[in-house]
Amino acid sequence: MAGLPLLQNSLLVGALLFVLGLEGMLTRRNLIVLFLSAELMLQGISISLVAWSRFHGDWGGQVFVIFVLTVAACEAAVALVFVLQAFARTGRLDAAAWQSLRESNLPRVVDHELPAIDDLPADWPKLSPAGVQPVTDENSALQRDHV
Amino acid sequence: MQNISPATLLVLVPLLPLVGALLTLLLGKILRSRAHMPAITGIAAAAAVSLVLLASTSMQVGAGPSSGEHAEPVRPVEMITTLWQWATVDKAYTPDAGSAAAIPGTPIGELTTEMRPFSIPVVLRLDPLTAIMLAIITCVGLLVAIYSVGYLHDDPGYTRFFTLFAMFVFSMSMLVAASNFLIVYVFWEAVGACSYLLIGFWFQKPAAARAAKKAFLVNRIGDFGLAIAVFLLWMTYGTLDFHDTLSANGTILPGILGQTRLADPAGMIGGAVGTAICLLLLLAACGKSAQMPLHVWLPDAMEGPTPASALIHAATMVTAGIYLVARCAPLFIASPGALVMVSIVGATTALVAALVATVQYDLKRVLAYSTISQLGYMFASLGTGTMLGFTAAIFHLLTHACFKALLFLGAGSVMHAMGGVIDMRRYGGLRRLMPITAATFLCGACALAGVAPFAGFFSKDEILATLHSKAWPNTHGQQQSPATGHAHLHLSSFSSDAVADDLTADALIGLDALNCPDVWRILFFMALITAGLTAFYTFRAVFMTFTGPTRVPAEAGHHAHESPLVMTLPLMILATASLVLGWLLFSTHWLSHFLSATPSFALPAFGQTATAPVFHLDLAIQGTLAAAVGIVVAAIGHLGRRSDGPQMERFLGPLGALFANQFFFDQIYTVLVVRPLELLAMLAGIIDRFLVDGLVDFIASLPLGIGSVVRRLQSGVLQRYALAGVMGVLLIVFVLAWQLRS
Repeated sequence: MAGLPLLQNSLLVGALLFVLGLEGMLTRRNLIVLFLSAELMLQGISISLVAWSRFHGDWGGQVFVIFVLTVAACEAAVALVFVLQAFARTGRLDAAAWQSLRESNLPRVVDHELPAIDDLPADWPKLSPAGVQPVTDENSALQRDHV
Repeated sequence: MQNISPATLLVLVPLLPLVGALLTLLLGKILRSRAHMPAITGIAAAAAVSLVLLASTSMQVGAGPSSGEHAEPVRPVEMITTLWQWATVDKAYTPDAGSAAAIPGTPIGELTTEMRPFSIPVVLRLDPLTAIMLAIITCVGLLVAIYSVGYLHDDPGYTRFFTLFAMFVFSMSMLVAASNFLIVYVFWEAVGACSYLLIGFWFQKPAAARAAKKAFLVNRIGDFGLAIAVFLLWMTYGTLDFHDTLSANGTILPGILGQTRLADPAGMIGGAVGTAICLLLLLAACGKSAQMPLHVWLPDAMEGPTPASALIHAATMVTAGIYLVARCAPLFIASPGALVMVSIVGATTALVAALVATVQYDLKRVLAYSTISQLGYMFASLGTGTMLGFTAAIFHLLTHACFKALLFLGAGSVMHAMGGVIDMRRYGGLRRLMPITAATFLCGACALAGVAPFAGFFSKDEILATLHSKAWPNTHGQQQSPATGHAHLHLSSFSSDAVADDLTADALIGLDALNCPDVWRILFFMALITAGLTAFYTFRAVFMTFTGPTRVPAEAGHHAHESPLVMTLPLMILATASLVLGWLLFSTHWLSHFLSATPSFALPAFGQTATAPVFHLDLAIQGTLAAAVGIVVAAIGHLGRRSDGPQMERFLGPLGALFANQFFFDQIYTVLVVRPLELLAMLAGIIDRFLVDGLVDFIASLPLGIGSVVRRLQSGVLQRYALAGVMGVLLIVFVLAWQLRS
């Protein structure tokens, strides 16, 4: 089994990617980051598939990965639209802002309360001219959900 | 009219008012104040058709009665029209071999052993009894409908009234034209429903709503009797048709009142079952015709509009009971015990209602009790079981329909002018204000009291003569009773399980013992006293309302004037009828001859009693004397005086209180029936609220309790859901791994 070390290494990388994605999925609140984490999990699985495919000399796994990529691309398009719409509605990318599907008589779950929108500075980060280090604003840099 | 068959005409009589009712209902919003047009047109057309039918039936019966004391019974005239089969089951049942009584006399064909069909046809019949009833219903209905145009001209429920009114005419004509007990039952209920809706016409008024409910509930008792009677008839006779029907294989299925059974001397089943059927029919008749002890609804029914009272609660619907007993004459003849009960109930009701009427101050209530009393008269006459008795009852029904409708419409006219006040103590001397109403009301009063040339005199005289002939059979030269010959007719032919126990059966047959001249003598005197009382309370009402100093209650305002022509015209027509109808029918003997062609009355047993009614001078003198005494007493008490004190009660002492409170019937029913039922309802309410509802609430609280625990999972936090998913997957993976570990 000549390809065994390659398979082991690939599976390790795939598992790492998947767990990182899962970790991000379960801990982050930013919708876009959540979405990125989901992509990470997909790629982890894809790597495993490719590794096994190569190990067995069967192209099926690699073909499957092509499908996964395609579907992931579509999903990315749809999901980003949802994220944009969600942002347009609330002005936030925080998943905690979308708790209205909970039982109405339960309290809202908040681990860290974010400052109200009105308190935020009106100057949004802009792309600075190329080659110049942007002037960062201390306050808005902390607000991940607006970046 | 030559080209149209009588069958078509017969169907048209109920159909036209039905179409009128539907059109009134549909076009009411468009026609508004002309909403009466379709209804009145329909009823008028039906009246014309029914008169044509009456004439054609009369021609079929033949010319006037042949001379001679014992005329040959005329050939029965009957026509059947089957519209459609309502329910048909072929080979529904096999008649019980024991109940040979299901087939009278010799078995016809092989019906006793063969499966028999169950079918309820919607079938109409035309015979003299139906023809005369149809004529009464539609003609009086037409006059009252015309009157209502004036009476109800500004009422918001104008459309509703005429719809119901035409519906009633439809239902009532179906009731008297139906030739099947189940169809009769259906329309028996339909007229009850119309009556309920019209009593509660002003349903915003609590008294009217209560009265409607009371009428409905009390009638329910009678209807229950009719339902049981229909069941028993089915069990006994194996059919519900009145007429004979031809079955598919050419054999004749004898109807309950069909020619086959009538021709057979043993055709009708007597004994305990027969008596039970007749008593149940009597119960039904008591409910609908407001006889004791079910009469309590009729006085309250006066809360309805006066035209409805006139048509439904005086002229037509309340005579449905009379019609039913008359129609089932052969059944009653076979059970003399039940027959004598009819008379006893009738005469007692007549006397009691007349006594109550003497102290009433509400003009409509006086007339209501008078109606009850006069219906009692008819029942007393029916109970004699002679051809003369039945003819007299129908004759009185006819004249009563005219003069009682007249009196009610007159009372309505007074009420209209007095701004809704109907208490006789609050007005007086109205003859100057309302000359036409006064004159026509006097005509009606004379007819009701039995003053000589008026209609009531002749019909009441016939009833008294009938009772007299039963009480003193020898003086009339007739056989004592054709009915007694039929007692114990079929006693041996029905099995013992037909009636629950022999004791009941004995008790039912024991009623026959009442059929003796002594009882009839008592009944005759009750009727005679009632005649005097009738004259008294009628003229008391006339004197209190129309004589004395003119007084008008404040409610009338400037409204106190004679009613418009649309109201007085029906009054005048009915007054003319009350004046001439009695003499016309009595002198020509047309009615008795005509009615004797009704199949029900063409019993062989009737043949002996089918004598032309004779004018008994002695009875006429007795009746007139009674009426005269009544009128004179009324004149002494009330003529030309202010009449607002309770003189009668004071004069009668404790008896007056008894009469004024209607013999405490309402109070007795309240204690005996209403209170226990309310208690039961309260108990049921408690059980329902605490036991049944408690159980349901407990079961409902179970998911609620579980939900309150599980609900905490539904936090709305995305990550928790994702975590739950991951945990689930991990669990599955571990379980699978555990299973695959080998």
